[in-house]
Amino acid sequence: MMGENKSAEGEITRRHFLRDSLWGTCLAGLGVLTGFVITKLRKTNTLWQIDPYTCVACGNCATYCVLDESAVKCVHAFPVCGYCRICFGFFGPEPLDITEGAENQVCPIGAIKRRFVEDPYYEYTIDESLCNGCGKCVKGCNTFGNGSLFLQVHHDRCLNCNECSIAAACPSGAWKRVPAEQPYLLKPALSPSAALRVNSAEGMVAHPPQAERGAGNHA
Amino acid sequence: MSRRFGATTTGKLIGIVIVLAIVAGIFALARLDVTGRKGSGLSDQFVYDVKDLAKIDPSLILYEETVLPIRTGFTNARGLVVGPQRSMYVAGDKAIRRFSENGQILTEIELTDTPGCLAVADDSKIYIGMKDHVEVYELSRGAGPRGGKRLSSWPTVDGAGDAVLTSIAIRQDDVFVADAGNRIVLRYDTTGRLINRIGQKDSQRNIPGFVIPSPYFDLAVGRDGLLRVANPGRHRIEAYTFDGDLEFWWGKFSSALEGFCGCCNPVNFAILDDDSFVTCEKGLVRVKVYNPQGVFVGVVAGPEQLVEGGTSRICTLPSQCQAGGFDVAVDSRGRIFVLDTIKNTIRIFTRKQT
Repeated sequence: MMGENKSAEGEITRRHFLRDSLWGTCLAGLGVLTGFVITKLRKTNTLWQIDPYTCVACGNCATYCVLDESAVKCVHAFPVCGYCRICFGFFGPEPLDITEGAENQVCPIGAIKRRFVEDPYYEYTIDESLCNGCGKCVKGCNTFGNGSLFLQVHHDRCLNCNECSIAAACPSGAWKRVPAEQPYLLKPALSPSAALRVNSAEGMVAHPPQAERGAGNHA
Repeated sequence: MSRRFGATTTGKLIGIVIVLAIVAGIFALARLDVTGRKGSGLSDQFVYDVKDLAKIDPSLILYEETVLPIRTGFTNARGLVVGPQRSMYVAGDKAIRRFSENGQILTEIELTDTPGCLAVADDSKIYIGMKDHVEVYELSRGAGPRGGKRLSSWPTVDGAGDAVLTSIAIRQDDVFVADAGNRIVLRYDTTGRLINRIGQKDSQRNIPGFVIPSPYFDLAVGRDGLLRVANPGRHRIEAYTFDGDLEFWWGKFSSALEGFCGCCNPVNFAILDDDSFVTCEKGLVRVKVYNPQGVFVGVVAGPEQLVEGGTSRICTLPSQCQAGGFDVAVDSRGRIFVLDTIKNTIRIFTRKQT
């Protein structure tokens, strides 16, 4: 009886209330759906990264980046490294001597440092402030060593352009979009059993000195 | 009149400037490389180039390949030996295959896991190094192409989790197993009983220890009764008594042909009947011969013969680079068998006629 009275007075009836509620629910649902679709389409949750197993270290990363100093730099996976005294990621193909002299080093800008650990092991690290991402050391390490040196996009520098100019210039298709939650494609710490895997860079066994075992990737 | 002339001149100049700007723009666009085809533009000092090192003086190449390579059919060939009756045994994928001289598969033994290495004893028993244990098989008589009977299996005693068996050699009742993961040689008898360890770092015995940066660690027994073990991180081959005394070594690092190049070579070797050594290197894939004293004699094949026919390209993808640890075996006729682990073929080299 109350409803009839309200209807007569031009107030909200049950029918109007239900109709308006339905419309409101539909509009809210549409809004949520639109927001979801827009979020998905914007793809802000992915970043550029280099697949180290596909990268051929061509040198394009050093010069095709829109930044003056490329966002790509070399990183070193310690668990994959052999800690060699004569590291061909550090020394040139024909070193005059096995010393740290600039003329013996493969890196033209001296971005790789080495530290004596114990005979005959040395630890190699990248000075990121110097590295220009040319990949010369990567090539040496891949050719002769375990491939523990590889190139990665550094996300503290990368602008994450939609049309990345390095990706367009990459001859091997090594550039890919990766989830922002996992922004780096690092070579994993491998157990020696991985050494028996199929012809793959994953199939390396690393023998760091005992004190160095368990060291993580350095990016 | 002069005003009109000046206006005309200004118009022409503006037109010329616009045309020049358009031409310059077109030129710049034409030169713009967004595909990377023109290369990085970096100077030569940023280019890693070992092509000159890959070239070998033809007069130093003492061997030639006179027969076509034998396809193993494996996708991951790991080890090669030449057994009795000149048949070739190849370990790869999850099997051992025995090939005749003309490349036919005579026998295949299926395994449960990937073998890393193998050796064939005089009694034709096959000792197979799996990741962390040794399995012994014999070829079943008349069992056909899938004949193979497992006789025993020995677990390794040193840190099985870290063990990576990479080479086996047999001399009478002794079985020597190279464990790259634990950087040690284990000496067993043929029943699998451990007799002693060889090569463990020991300053009291003047043994510097093995340096094995990658999973290549080879050994063989010489006719002089000494065990030869490759120590790739130190770029040499060391001679041990069966009791584990280090007698002597030879080999040195050098990018030149006479030495072992890269971080860790030689990766594999074999001993010829005249006690000469045939060595395999990775990186710059070179198979070379050294005399019994370790003096460089000549080349069996270099990168131009082994990796990319007719070129000196070394490798491109990391996986190709890492797969270049070729294995080598010899037979009583002095032929050299190279297991190409990139193409998964057996290459047979014979000494050139002089």
